[in-house]
Amino acid sequence: MSLTAAKEWPLIAFTLLSQIAVGAFWTLAAATLFSWEARVRGENEFLVLPGLVIVAALLVAAAALSFFHLGRPKRAVLVLANLRTSWLSREILFELAFLAMVVLLAFFSWRRAERTALVQGAYILASLFGALFLYSMSRLYMLRTVPAWHGLYTPLSFFLSALLLGPLAAAAGQKRLFTFPERAYAFQDVVGVSALAAVALIVLVILLFTPRIGFLRTKTATLLEFPARRMYPFLVFRLLFLAAAVFFIVLYHDVERGALMTLAFVSAGAAEILGRYLFYAVYSRLGV
Amino acid sequence: MEQQAWVRQYAFTFDSSSCTGCKACQVACKDKHDLPVDILWRRVYEVTGGTWKKEGGVWVPAVLSYYLSMACHHCQKPICGEACPTQAIYKRDDGIVMLETLACIGCRYCEWACPYGAIQFDPASRVVTKCHFCYDYLALGEPPACVAACPMRALDFGDLSELRKKYAGTREIFPLPEASLTEPALIIKPHRDAARASKDTAEVANWEEI
Repeated sequence: MSLTAAKEWPLIAFTLLSQIAVGAFWTLAAATLFSWEARVRGENEFLVLPGLVIVAALLVAAAALSFFHLGRPKRAVLVLANLRTSWLSREILFELAFLAMVVLLAFFSWRRAERTALVQGAYILASLFGALFLYSMSRLYMLRTVPAWHGLYTPLSFFLSALLLGPLAAAAGQKRLFTFPERAYAFQDVVGVSALAAVALIVLVILLFTPRIGFLRTKTATLLEFPARRMYPFLVFRLLFLAAAVFFIVLYHDVERGALMTLAFVSAGAAEILGRYLFYAVYSRLGV
Repeated sequence: MEQQAWVRQYAFTFDSSSCTGCKACQVACKDKHDLPVDILWRRVYEVTGGTWKKEGGVWVPAVLSYYLSMACHHCQKPICGEACPTQAIYKRDDGIVMLETLACIGCRYCEWACPYGAIQFDPASRVVTKCHFCYDYLALGEPPACVAACPMRALDFGDLSELRKKYAGTREIFPLPEASLTEPALIIKPHRDAARASKDTAEVANWEEI
């Protein structure tokens, strides 16, 4: 009857890839809406096209991988049937809405649409759908019968994964986004600062919330299937990978070498894979 | 008891003080529904605990042990149905929580959520399964298989409001969760050791069986 993290690799892939996609889109949207270059040159939309295509591809790949979690993937079309109470239905609804907006914006970029209020509104709406997608994804896990998930750790960790990995992913591929070096440097500043802030917040969340998951045992809870002491290697390695990501981000800023941002993304990605593995591993519900 | 039109919420009662842990209910359920290995719609949990205690100058055993026969409790707030994205899990007018297996996508979200272990994934059919209160027997005016099989008459069933008049009991007993989480349609007459169980760090002793 028990669920183990080993069985949940499709969900680890789905959640992390989706969060990368949303975070990367937020970065592209910010670069477009507040952009230093668009205002000056009025041509940014075309430049974000590769980024938008990659975001859409990530979402499709995430959804495809999540099918491996389903016992009956051919029936997946039924998943929207319970929007009234099921956060899983809502998650998929917002994922589809987000994907549709990203595709629409990619179309605008491809057609070299002007930076009109309509396009800007579409970016804002898509960003909102992305946020609702992540929110419903976290609410899905916040079951009142699963104390380890029914807390702030779940939404915070999901949003922070997006805010860390998304900008780093966008930065790692920034050569495709920016033609002129001065744009890339400004982008690099923003990404570096936001990624460092995300790392700081993730460490704070780890310190404040993760131990409570491991040591949880209410009077009516079943025994943890994942002993608390086994959490520590995961936590230590997660922190080490985060430290490596910070190192690469700082170094990147100094020497302006794109490969270092890829290394930062890989390090941060490894940290978040460990964190997400742990998230599923500590599943333990109240009762029997 | 015959199926009655006025039933608003079918419920089970369980007398933990008279259960001997023979598992006849578990076997009858498995037999009736032809359940595969590793699937038990009704499960008998063996709760044990306690230790040695010093009384005067003598160490004496202060141990506890009792059984819990648990199936789906057809909750009034079924969290499994709330979670199910396809509405495969729904509540009938008589309170029975039903599962439409043809609408199940096997996401197992309901299995995560149910605090009674009532939802179980069948690897062969790739969907979840659960107790349906032997609704087919009810339609024939017969009791559920588990109730009929119990040699100690520790199990009973009926409309929840009628059962509450007949039995005094609780819905919270170690290791079950707070009833307010899902409002299970269940009445348990607790074993005399049950009050001590949570204090004396009792455990379920037969996880490998269930």
